[in-house]
Amino acid sequence: MKAQDVRERAFAMPLENPSYPPGPYRFVDREYLIITYRTDPTILRAMVPEPLEIIEPVVKYEFIRMPNSTGFGDYTESGQVVPVRFQGVEGGYVHAMYLDVDPPIAGGRELWGFPKKLANPSLRVEHDVLVGTLDFGPVRVATGTMGYKHTRLPDEKIRHALGEPGFLLKIIPHVDGSPRLCQLVRYHLSDIVVKGGWTGPAALELQPHALAPVASLPVLEVLSATHLIADITLDLGEVVHDYLA
Amino acid sequence: MTPQHVRARASAMPFNSPAYPLGPYRYENRELLSICYRSDHALLSAVVPEPLLPASDAVLCNFTRIADSTGFGSYHIAAQVIPVLLPGGAAANYTRFMFVDAHPPSAGGRELWGFPQKLGAPSLKVERDTLVGRLDLGRLNIATASMGFKHQPLAGEDALAALSAPGVLLKIMPHVDGTAAVCELVRYCFTSIKLEGAWRGPAALSLHPHALAPLATLPVHEVLWGAHIIADMTLEMGSVIHDYLA
Repeated sequence: MKAQDVRERAFAMPLENPSYPPGPYRFVDREYLIITYRTDPTILRAMVPEPLEIIEPVVKYEFIRMPNSTGFGDYTESGQVVPVRFQGVEGGYVHAMYLDVDPPIAGGRELWGFPKKLANPSLRVEHDVLVGTLDFGPVRVATGTMGYKHTRLPDEKIRHALGEPGFLLKIIPHVDGSPRLCQLVRYHLSDIVVKGGWTGPAALELQPHALAPVASLPVLEVLSATHLIADITLDLGEVVHDYLA
Repeated sequence: MTPQHVRARASAMPFNSPAYPLGPYRYENRELLSICYRSDHALLSAVVPEPLLPASDAVLCNFTRIADSTGFGSYHIAAQVIPVLLPGGAAANYTRFMFVDAHPPSAGGRELWGFPQKLGAPSLKVERDTLVGRLDLGRLNIATASMGFKHQPLAGEDALAALSAPGVLLKIMPHVDGTAAVCELVRYCFTSIKLEGAWRGPAALSLHPHALAPLATLPVHEVLWGAHIIADMTLEMGSVIHDYLA
């Protein structure tokens, strides 16, 4: 293969059959269970990178079903998002995410800098309860429950929440182990079509694990819960701060 | 967390619990089934990136069982590898595709060295009298290799030469806008190799087409040899030998 062809085709590895296709990435019927909880402000401050600012000592624990997504197929995700402010605008800093399929893990890490690991998350309705779980190998690390569709939320409120920017700390090492990229990345969801949103009683339990340390941001009090279904497009991001500059 | 703190501690994502630790990566009792086959020269030339050149018409299909490795634990690898010549004429092995069944070596392999890894279900096990290497993706079989178990010894110097040949990888990492941030050839090697045993025997290999694991696009015309090697070794960090973006 000519060097010129390598350069023109280079998007991701393996060169001939990349682990993920180029976007845009459209998600149809994306379903979220988001449990918002109060945590320890000192621990939270030590985990969120400046120049992001913490608004209050709050974490959103998310379980997300994605049955139909461009190039990534049918998969499930779970993780923690911290509400933050950047240059006066509120958004969410993605602290850690756990998924059950390779293309969105590799693509998520390498394109945007989503802090993703492979694990076994799930989100399903069990009779009258929406149940989200996260297992890492044979070990349960998170269990979220919410009463199913108790109280409807206005679509506009859901659309506004989904429209907030997301923030990521993208780190890619050099072949010698030193950091090659160390950037704060901002991304947005677009073309949001809300199909429904609800609130209801909720509970969340996190358990310690050496490699899936969700419990290191402890649950002091569950504040609220949201169940929502929407179609969205995940746009590519932009670098808003370069830690190596 | 201050920006200075971020910069000082940044090694991999997630920042607070990286998906893989930093090396060196030591492997104990790493077990390899390597099947060498003759393929099509024109197809090989089309897939080997210049300035690398195919060394011959040969391709390797390697199945590895790793029981004990630093930070990566216990896992399996299946890889399609092409013997090539580096600029200057030295021999090396170019990895075209690689599949693993654990995440830390996949994330670390891709992001540190540029191993072209995907998640799959590779395996290597002894089934009665046969050493069997398989690669499955979901419910589909992509590759099946078999070799008679420990029929003849393989000379230690030949086994050591095979393990110590340098590897070469095409590392590609995108920017957040989808353009290439990194596109380079990386050279790496194994060191501190301690051979535990090596054997030859009758061998066979079949490859099956798959949309996302297209090993069969380098067809098997003839199996040339099979080797079964057990050794301890250390995977070293790599070095960039060619930058396509320069």
